[in-house]
Amino acid sequence: MTKANGLRRVVVTGLGAVTPIGLDANETWSAMKAGKCGVGRIENFDLEDLYIHIAGEVKGFDPATHVSSRKVQYGDRYSWFAGRAAEEAWTHAGLPTPYDEPYRAACIIGSGAGGHSTIETAYRDLFIKKKKATNPLTLLRIIGSSASAHVGIEYGIKGPTFGTCSACSTATHAIGVVYDYIRNGLVDVGVAGASEAVLTYGSMRTWQAMRVLSPEGCFPFSKKRNGTVLAEGAGILILEDLEHAQKRGATILAELVGYGMSSDSKDMVNPDVEGPRSAMQMALDDAGLEPSKVNYLNAHGTATALNDVNETNAIKMVFGDHAKDLAISSTKSMTGHLLGAGGGVEAITCIKATQEGWIPPTIGLDEPDPKCDLDYVPNVGRDADVKYTMSNSFAFGGLNAVLVFGLPPA
Amino acid sequence: MDEVATKIIDILKKHMKEPKDDIELSTPLTDLSIESLDLAMIVFDIEDTFGIEIPYNANEEVEDFKTVGSVVERVKALVDAGDAAGAANA
Repeated sequence: MTKANGLRRVVVTGLGAVTPIGLDANETWSAMKAGKCGVGRIENFDLEDLYIHIAGEVKGFDPATHVSSRKVQYGDRYSWFAGRAAEEAWTHAGLPTPYDEPYRAACIIGSGAGGHSTIETAYRDLFIKKKKATNPLTLLRIIGSSASAHVGIEYGIKGPTFGTCSACSTATHAIGVVYDYIRNGLVDVGVAGASEAVLTYGSMRTWQAMRVLSPEGCFPFSKKRNGTVLAEGAGILILEDLEHAQKRGATILAELVGYGMSSDSKDMVNPDVEGPRSAMQMALDDAGLEPSKVNYLNAHGTATALNDVNETNAIKMVFGDHAKDLAISSTKSMTGHLLGAGGGVEAITCIKATQEGWIPPTIGLDEPDPKCDLDYVPNVGRDADVKYTMSNSFAFGGLNAVLVFGLPPA
Repeated sequence: MDEVATKIIDILKKHMKEPKDDIELSTPLTDLSIESLDLAMIVFDIEDTFGIEIPYNANEEVEDFKTVGSVVERVKALVDAGDAAGAANA
């Protein structure tokens, strides 16, 4: 079953997430329905002299309980989240373990930063405690491909397996890569997404030094917004060739109909309007979709001064008159900014919105910035007939990736 | 100009693409074509030079960063207060 352009159609058959508002995809979605905020005072590590005291921490996560694989338990916290989310998604999709056509499956799980807490522990051991050696697993825990390798081992995946790395667009790029592999016939099934666990003292200091974090909270598009809030977790999808999914009688959750990516090629921190505009346009063109057909847009919406205005302007350029009628929200208002993993969780959010006919809100939006003048679904979610959704991811360095999802094929 | 002001102007010049020689205390920072990341670098350099912490958030417009003179005043106040944790309650 192919599109007019001869490419195979790609559907979503499994979802998995670990976020500050839920230890699986359903719990995360229920928390969004309740407008729950996962940002709070940091509890998982000692704040020392940090002046940013808040983050979106994953609470109550115990690898011994939440990660079934003993090998993954030996990994970094970011691999734990990936292992947990992948297990949820793989089980959800009902795929066999080990996978029966191992070379026809891909496992692309990225991370913006890899095993950050492992790096920090090792450096403290070496430079402060003057220990004679680091833990022998240090290197394997740090590398940004360890989550994909771990998950690939768990499910017997022998096709393309690696991690993507594009800061806050990492998960979206991973999903785009697997989408391209499947539609071009390289594989039939793929695990795609990202995981991030950078809530450590040292990492917080590096973000603090950039002066982009809010000491108060993540308030996208709001007049009071004063920076983003770091969070951790994972978001993973199972993508599959439509025919392959139908043959095995899988439940199809959504169709991935479009993907666009671009680079601003301008500045490491100041976003340009042209990059996001072109990525959104490419995703629509790839989907063969008129902008007016999109019912919901999950914005990148980081709550920095620059992003939210720039994204609003880019949306207006792409959607024209439809921009004011388009329901847009930033679920980072609830989850915080999961960095590389954000696009994975937000893709899941788009799919859930389509399935349940409900659009999640941007919470904490009491008074919008006058320069952000679109419908950001303030504070309260709403019922809506959602057929097509768009998920935006824009990253430091000006790296943009956009996905468009549609209903499961009839 | 006193020592603090001279040091701060030297730091500003170091981070400007085309350093100007006519920087006065009344010069607005916006005249120095400094971008957000440059400003974070400048604040870091000033903190390092004077052993202070300056509360600064790139997402907010701050009075202390209007002119060269206002930066100098703020730094002097922080140095006088010996407030090494100036940003702690920002």
